[in-house]
Amino acid sequence: MSHWLEWFVQWTAKFGLNYSFLLDAYQRGSMVNGALTTILLCLFTIIGSLLAGVALAAMLTSGKAYLAKPARVFIEVTRNTPTLVQLYCAFLVLNMLLTQAVGTANPLTPFAWVVIVISLHKGAFHAEALRAGIEAVPVVTLEAASSLAFSSRQLLWNVQLPLAMRFALPSLINNLIDLVKMTAVASAIAVGDITYASIMIWTQSDNVLELMIVLLAFFGLLSFVVNCVGRALEAKLRMPGYGH
Amino acid sequence: MPSPETRAEQPLISLRDIHLSFGSNRVLRGIDLDVQRGQAVSIIGPSGSGKSTILRCITGLLQPQRGNIRVGETEVHKLKSEAQRIELRKRVGFVFQQYNLFPHLSVLENLVIAPRKVLGRNSAQAEQEARALLAKVRMEHKADAYPGQLSGGQQQRVAIARALAMRPELILFDEVTSALDPETVGEVLTVIRELTEEGMTCVLVTHEMRFAEDISDVVYFTENGLIVEHGSAEQIFQRPVSERTQAFLRHALGDAGRRPAAAGDPYLLSNISRYGLSV
Amino acid sequence: MAIDSSASLPLSWPRRHPGKLVLLAALALLLIFGAPKSPVFAALYEWSPALAVGFGQNILISLLAIAIGSLLGLLIGALAVSPLWITRLPARIWVQVFRNAPWLVLIYFTTYVFPFELHIGKSWIAFPDWVKVTIGLALPASANVAEIFRGAIGSIPSTQWEASRSLAFTRGQIFRSIILPQCFKRMLPPWMNLYAVITMGTALASLVGVHDLIDTAQIASNTVNLTGFTVLIYFSVLALFFAYCYPISRITQFLERRYAFS
Repeated sequence: MSHWLEWFVQWTAKFGLNYSFLLDAYQRGSMVNGALTTILLCLFTIIGSLLAGVALAAMLTSGKAYLAKPARVFIEVTRNTPTLVQLYCAFLVLNMLLTQAVGTANPLTPFAWVVIVISLHKGAFHAEALRAGIEAVPVVTLEAASSLAFSSRQLLWNVQLPLAMRFALPSLINNLIDLVKMTAVASAIAVGDITYASIMIWTQSDNVLELMIVLLAFFGLLSFVVNCVGRALEAKLRMPGYGH
Repeated sequence: MPSPETRAEQPLISLRDIHLSFGSNRVLRGIDLDVQRGQAVSIIGPSGSGKSTILRCITGLLQPQRGNIRVGETEVHKLKSEAQRIELRKRVGFVFQQYNLFPHLSVLENLVIAPRKVLGRNSAQAEQEARALLAKVRMEHKADAYPGQLSGGQQQRVAIARALAMRPELILFDEVTSALDPETVGEVLTVIRELTEEGMTCVLVTHEMRFAEDISDVVYFTENGLIVEHGSAEQIFQRPVSERTQAFLRHALGDAGRRPAAAGDPYLLSNISRYGLSV
Repeated sequence: MAIDSSASLPLSWPRRHPGKLVLLAALALLLIFGAPKSPVFAALYEWSPALAVGFGQNILISLLAIAIGSLLGLLIGALAVSPLWITRLPARIWVQVFRNAPWLVLIYFTTYVFPFELHIGKSWIAFPDWVKVTIGLALPASANVAEIFRGAIGSIPSTQWEASRSLAFTRGQIFRSIILPQCFKRMLPPWMNLYAVITMGTALASLVGVHDLIDTAQIASNTVNLTGFTVLIYFSVLALFFAYCYPISRITQFLERRYAFS
């Protein structure tokens, strides 16, 4: 392991890049921790955002104004304001109020706030995609299911949602790739993700370019993985004869 | 097959004075219709005369504002909950103009899903039955294909098999050939003809006049939400009483009421293409 | 009947949105009668000029970034659809790299890698942080504009190409007089959407020390140091961004719907 690292540091030095921080156990450790934190953050927010998206989409398509209206307002506010400001409103304002209310018993860490805020933020985008997918299911197909004596619940689970899911999937995958990139904003409230770990290292060692390459490669890799999983899912759910 | 004149037994379907409006648009304005068990009944008439609406009322997809509908022992107009209507739909098959197969399921799964989920049959038995039905509509070789991979005529035959898989007491056909290419109309009509010959109760809304005349026991002619005239196929097509019926048939048959040579007639195709542009 | 209903459409707003109207009225009353007495609102009033200047900085960055990004993006987009692979490949790589990089990382990149002064001729010119942030936002903007351009060109039916070619146009002529005029109309909605996203992206400038709206709000929050004020000022920032971006997104939706039917 260390042998390979040394070789890598020497090899990159030929191009004028200084990767010697990789040989420092402490800095290497914080970088690895940062990478793991980012991966964890992505996993939590992907699940959270999908749950939030399904809930919001259910509200939007419920046909009940007292559910649909608040969901619509929430989605418009979320889509038209910066994530960073939302994060500040949550972490600097709501978290402050929560701490004032319950003191040190406040169970929400900065990590948890990032998960909540990005989940809700991307959930709003998922909800739009899912709503469009649900609306894209032809009325006649639902009528056909009704004529086969499906109950509204069976109709939802066996026909409407499977079709809506397939229509919405490309948008959902794009949203998730965007979500992966968005987790970098966690560094703004000192969550020790890979961006934060890099900032800590480059303020000491002045090797911004080298770390930048690592960051871009890392996020590129994560996006690539999400993309591959998404495409595999699309291929699995493909309806032969429809689309590509 | 009982002729329409000897109606001793109670009809399987009976509609009395059905009124239905969409907003200010009065689609049905007092429809009376009877279907005996084992009969094939066709409803003909100009587009927009409420033919498809009648079928949707029979299976409870639409609820009329006024009037009585009875299917077997079920008073359809009295059904209050969706659960009761679901019980009705288990007994009534429906085949749509646009086939409406489930595109995410294979042909076999399309046939199996409702018997399994709705009727709770075990899957091995449902699958065996589905394969038999596919053979009946000559689609057994496409059991694992997806609807998107089939021609219109093939999809429609699968849709008929899907309705049959529920073992319905009767089947409603809603302009089932209107969206099809002329070449594939025949294969679907053949399947329907076989069903009527086996004694399945069928109600058809159709623009295929030759076919309607050929297979129907009773024909109803509707216009502007009213039944203008009904009677045996022979009477309606050969000796229509109403002037409206005569005018419609003259128009629909593309000739001055004179009957051209039967099946295989090229005018049949022009007939389809005129009404088939509703996609 | 139809004319009647369309004529009354602008007037029907209060009737269609009674809830919103009541809410607005209540908010206005609260501000007019409740605001002067409370120290929290007084502080907000005191800080509002500074906040306005800060938001002006955000808008300046966003306008410059979309301008640079659009010019660069159109150039790269043109290269990306070129028939020569030697120009196509670098353009595609550019688009891939800058579309898939987190914007925050790009902003860190331009801020810390670029020098703080530029040596032009014999003089040194200051290279302030906000300009670096602008470039940091213009990079992903250019990649997105290039992609929007490529998408728009792809969306022009190939029959348009065939028809033009049959009229003996050259490739350049087809682009200039047939394809591009059709493209720009199709590009407008996604381009406006991109502008709104860039405006929201300027919020990241505060993280590299640009004195923008959010930076001002943080300073104000720490200076005034009242719980109520902290709550108020961050939600005011949220409201300001919303007030700027929401109309853009509504116009975008309107254009999308209009072009979808024409």
